[in-house]
Amino acid sequence: MSVMLSFQEVTKIYPGAEHFKAVDSLTFDLNEGEICTLVGPSGCGKTTAMKMINRLISMTSGKILVDGQNADRMDTIELRRSIGYVIQNIGLFPNMTIAENIAIVPRLKGWDAGKISEKVESLLEMVNLPAEEFMNRYPKELSGGQQQRIGVARGMAADPPIMLMDEPFGAIDPINREHLQNEFLRIQEKVRKTIVFVTHDIDEAIKMGDKICLLRNGKLVQFDNPEKLLTEPANDFVRDFVGGDRTLKRLNLLKVKNAMQTDPPLIRALESLQTAKGKLSELKTDHLIVVDENGRLLGTVDPAALGKTGDKVAEVVQATQAHIQASASLKDGLSEIFSHDLGFVIAVDDAQKVVGTLTEKDIKALLRK
Amino acid sequence: MPTTIISSLLKRFLPLAITVAVVVWLYHHYGALTYTIENTKEFMRFVAEHIFLVVVSLAASVIVGVSLGTIMTRKGFEKTGPAIMALVNIWQSVPSLGVIALAYGFLPLLGLSGIGVLPALIALFFHAVAPIVRNTYAGIEAVSADVIESATGMGMTERQILMRIELPNALPVIMGGVRTSSAIIVGTAPLAFLIGGGGLGFLIFTGIALMDMGILISGAVPVALIAMIFDNLFGKLEKIVVSKGIQAEEYQTA
Repeated sequence: MSVMLSFQEVTKIYPGAEHFKAVDSLTFDLNEGEICTLVGPSGCGKTTAMKMINRLISMTSGKILVDGQNADRMDTIELRRSIGYVIQNIGLFPNMTIAENIAIVPRLKGWDAGKISEKVESLLEMVNLPAEEFMNRYPKELSGGQQQRIGVARGMAADPPIMLMDEPFGAIDPINREHLQNEFLRIQEKVRKTIVFVTHDIDEAIKMGDKICLLRNGKLVQFDNPEKLLTEPANDFVRDFVGGDRTLKRLNLLKVKNAMQTDPPLIRALESLQTAKGKLSELKTDHLIVVDENGRLLGTVDPAALGKTGDKVAEVVQATQAHIQASASLKDGLSEIFSHDLGFVIAVDDAQKVVGTLTEKDIKALLRK
Repeated sequence: MPTTIISSLLKRFLPLAITVAVVVWLYHHYGALTYTIENTKEFMRFVAEHIFLVVVSLAASVIVGVSLGTIMTRKGFEKTGPAIMALVNIWQSVPSLGVIALAYGFLPLLGLSGIGVLPALIALFFHAVAPIVRNTYAGIEAVSADVIESATGMGMTERQILMRIELPNALPVIMGGVRTSSAIIVGTAPLAFLIGGGGLGFLIFTGIALMDMGILISGAVPVALIAMIFDNLFGKLEKIVVSKGIQAEEYQTA
């Protein structure tokens, strides 16, 4: 992976506050296609650091390389047009329609009209707002969440390799915010932009970031991926900032498939009860997971069920809700474990095929690793 | 519902009907109609002069007012802007007649004639420019900082931001200023006659001097009608030039 954005000893001192470095010798590299969340308490310099990239704020000393080029030497206007910009209060232009808002940068860059309208439509589709319904509406006719989607689409309009996002979901209510975050991550899977994402919310930083850049008083405290930040906080400040529940936060990051046992006690529905009983005692377990010919989940059987009269496992199988996608977060996995009295949950893939089992013990083992 | 149709028709046409009725009555009662018909040629000249005074001084006010108001919002004018605004506000409190008198008294000091069309235009311009300056300044200042920041961050030049963002978004406020100015100018224009500027003021002041209501009405009523027509035109213009995204709700029903 190539480095897309590089901060080298970047320092900002605001005029009139000479004793204080708003950003102090900030140095880090960001790879292409990664999201870096800049996070820290207010006044830590995260927004200042971000705005020096597109030179809305001029740096006092140091260097920022954008795709290998010194941003300070580039033409300001050209630099800004090649970097997507999304801010908290969105800043859609009220006098322009949604389509005109999205088309701003492509138009500034002189794209032809056909290409622009094609792009506008595909972007609207990407953010789940039907083009024919929204194109000719005005910002004031949209809800906050819809406006922010337009803000994101507008930031991506000219296909910038880098995007700057300043608390883009900060003004949205919690339910919609979660929704927008997920939607954005899904989009990012496809577009793979290099993104600098400013937030004051550590949970958002952990959720959105491939890398987290934690700042305090203008200084870089820790630059790591979320897992590292949670497991190996650099000092007490980081420990406090990520919070006492940092182990629980890791549950959000880790997936069921990271912790599950991959040798589930399976039995085919067409096997006889006798075989099932044999397997049960052989494996020394309380439950067998019943699957069909294709390995898809049908339910479970326990000794009591096997004691019933019958011939095949299919006749005594008990349906179960205690299953979860292997790609789900461990937090959801743990919640499933607690909400069923099976003592474990069955991990399935997209095709409902059983791929493993997850118990509290598995989770503990992974967290201690 | 027939009642709502009737009430909406009433709302729309009642003012017009009342206006026509009053005008007809005035013209008939005071013999203004006879006077106007007997002096059509002169009357038309007064109307033309009057409209000329209004249009030229208003055009100058718009050009200068919008420019000055805009310049005051630019970088480097953060401190002088409010100071100029304060001056403009004081200036606007000078009464109409005072402005005409000032033009008559001051222009000779500058080597210009205090009598004629030019001093009248200058007086009207100075009297009417203030609301446009003030509204342009306020309108641009009111454009949200977030909008400006995102425009800047996306790589718009200052000129592009002014032309595509700031002025279009300030337009409803600017148009409000233009309408106020036009009302001031149309109302003050009859006074232009006092310093030789011509216009319908001739008929009004002659009517007063001769105590002839017929002559007075034949000047005063057209002045009022011109004022109404101008305001109506600007109202329509506003609907056309202001983006639907920032028009007040009531305009959207059309």
